[in-house]
Amino acid sequence: MSDNEAQELVEIRKKLKTMLVENLSLEDVNPDDIKADEPLFGEGLGLDSLDAVEIVVMLQRNFGLEVKDMNKGREIFYSIDTLAKYVYDHTKASPES
Amino acid sequence: MADKKLKASAKKRGNRLGLWFFKISLRLFGLSGAYGLLYLVCPYYLIFDRPGFSAGMAYINRRYRDHNFLHKIYYVYKLLINQGKNLIDRYYIISGQGQFEIEDQPDERLEALFNDPQRGGILLLAHVGNWQVIMAGLGKLIKKPIYLLMRPEDNVALKDMLDVDGEQELVKIISPEGYLGGVIELTQAISRGHLVSIMGDRTYGADSVEACFLGEKAHFPYAAFGMAAAIGCPVIVLFSAKVSTKKYRIFYPTVIEPRYSSRHNKRQDIEGWIQKFAKNLEDYVAEYPFQWFVFDDIWTENSINNKRL
Repeated sequence: MSDNEAQELVEIRKKLKTMLVENLSLEDVNPDDIKADEPLFGEGLGLDSLDAVEIVVMLQRNFGLEVKDMNKGREIFYSIDTLAKYVYDHTKASPES
Repeated sequence: MADKKLKASAKKRGNRLGLWFFKISLRLFGLSGAYGLLYLVCPYYLIFDRPGFSAGMAYINRRYRDHNFLHKIYYVYKLLINQGKNLIDRYYIISGQGQFEIEDQPDERLEALFNDPQRGGILLLAHVGNWQVIMAGLGKLIKKPIYLLMRPEDNVALKDMLDVDGEQELVKIISPEGYLGGVIELTQAISRGHLVSIMGDRTYGADSVEACFLGEKAHFPYAAFGMAAAIGCPVIVLFSAKVSTKKYRIFYPTVIEPRYSSRHNKRQDIEGWIQKFAKNLEDYVAEYPFQWFVFDDIWTENSINNKRL
């Protein structure tokens, strides 16, 4: 991975963290406090299924993305890292979306 | 095949011989004949199905507060009779013996929504009338995909009746046992302009909030409103009622457009929307007291789960 790509991933992670805190009413949570590799649901950040709805909407509105293969849902929505990787891979493949 | 379907419909109520009697009487004497058998069979369940009786009584006690105990037992009996009719009606369609007339008159606003391929929404149902029969009808009336959130194995009969997931069919099933309860698929379906159907009167262990219902606080699931607020889609309350032997009517008491007033006010907003739904249901049971088949004590559930609201 080039420095450029690594930098882009860092930016996406940062953006996702900020969006999570703003959209999910995560009071008392600072975006910088969210660990990129901790699970979003259950143990970890402790999000629930309704938060998942907000994340899906967030991906659609901000990145024009839809998760078509639900078999990969668990993998994609696991952490900020996995989510950022998904956003990076798919927005890079079709920049117009 | 039809045997399996009826067994699935009846679940644990009814043994093989009993179901055979119902099938034969339906073939020989039609719907009214099969209904007649219920008056002989239901006293058995009234006496021996203790969980069913208690759950039915939880509702009847609140709907008919001032009535004496004997009257209330009779009302539970009427509930069981109507639930039996419900199952027979489903089998009537499954076995191909006929169809029911479905009276459906959505207003202009709803028709526009149903015909708009871009605009999705949530159909918020309750265990009233016969939602399975109605779904079969709606699948033909509404020309856009409708997704049902349910465990396919719990509703094998319905799955067969609607021929869900068939290539040409517009009714599809999403299992709540999928990742995150299927909400990701539901959200994406709504975003594609499709309709999603969710039960609003029983929590099945899901997160809930309280609303005043029949004079006491009861627990209602709020996922439908949480989803709608996040997506920005309408919640269309949809009830049905059996109005004659071969006719059902569909009602749309309210269309709610849930939007949070602020990020810090989610709980109050959701409670307000749930209260509207509870009022719709209260109006329904005032008119059709023996067509609400929730069979669950929604007033005394163990706990309220709404950790982050």
